[in-house]
Amino acid sequence: MIRTIKESIIIISISVVAGLTANAISPKGVPLIGDYSDRLQVDSTTAAGQVKQERQKTKEGFIKPVNIPVDAAKKYFDDGALFIDGREPSEFAQGHIKGAINISYKEFKDLPPEKKSEIMKDIPKNRAIVSYCGGGECEISIDNAYEFAKIGYENVNIYLGGLLEWQSKSYPLNN
Amino acid sequence: MSFLSNRYFQLLLRLVIGGLFVYASLSKVFNQEEFAKAIYNYKLLPGELVNILAIVLPYIEFFAGIFLIFGIFKKGSSFLIGAMLIVFIIALTRAYVLGLDISCGCFSLETVSEKSDISQRIIEDILMLIGCILIYFNSDKKKLSINNN
Repeated sequence: MIRTIKESIIIISISVVAGLTANAISPKGVPLIGDYSDRLQVDSTTAAGQVKQERQKTKEGFIKPVNIPVDAAKKYFDDGALFIDGREPSEFAQGHIKGAINISYKEFKDLPPEKKSEIMKDIPKNRAIVSYCGGGECEISIDNAYEFAKIGYENVNIYLGGLLEWQSKSYPLNN
Repeated sequence: MSFLSNRYFQLLLRLVIGGLFVYASLSKVFNQEEFAKAIYNYKLLPGELVNILAIVLPYIEFFAGIFLIFGIFKKGSSFLIGAMLIVFIIALTRAYVLGLDISCGCFSLETVSEKSDISQRIIEDILMLIGCILIYFNSDKKKLSINNN
């Protein structure tokens, strides 16, 4: 058992050194302590008006997407915001929020920035966008929202409740 | 059951399991950002710990795999790989039961894994865990065989 512990400590030590070094030089490196606060579920009791908070600019220079609860999403819907569904085309085809367009995160994320802008060229940068996906534990709504924000969209919102919650409220759908 | 401790069988086990771990680590060793997201999505760890795990875990997979293949630190590497497999099995089973719509983060960093993929991964991990246990308990066989002869 002592041998197991000794050997494990050696392997872990090598890995820690290698990992920290690689992270420091990797272009996809991350800070040692992550900030995942914007991935928390929003409190659905938040009044719709409260999401019109000051939008923050990130260190990278894009405007941070904002999490919105279902009532705010409905308000954006009524105001004509563009809903973008991040799921795969086959899932999108089975049903989505009425009027939504499909930009599949899986296909979109690895494209070069120029190609991303090209795909979204008809959407004005200041248009209100609501990014959503299946709902439940689905998080591509967040990842997609950051993709849009990074290419310059200024009013990006994340509707984490997604299709599941939207359906449960019997809000308008395209089937 | 003596074939289980046969040295060629043991070598095969080490090559397969070590090889799979090295292979699995390769897509993650320089893609900390995506792997951190994959870990976060399992919702098992507090956010503060996600990144450090995303930084170190692929390297533990890599080095433990390399050592297992070459038969260096066999006890330590099979123990660590076994321990990682137990954690993976728990995390995957939990994700499966809860129906989390996530990237497995196993071999590649695809966005969404099918549920069937997750159950297949769980089975693979259980098989590898059995292999690891066999390697671990045979890693000081040498002394025994000398005594037996």
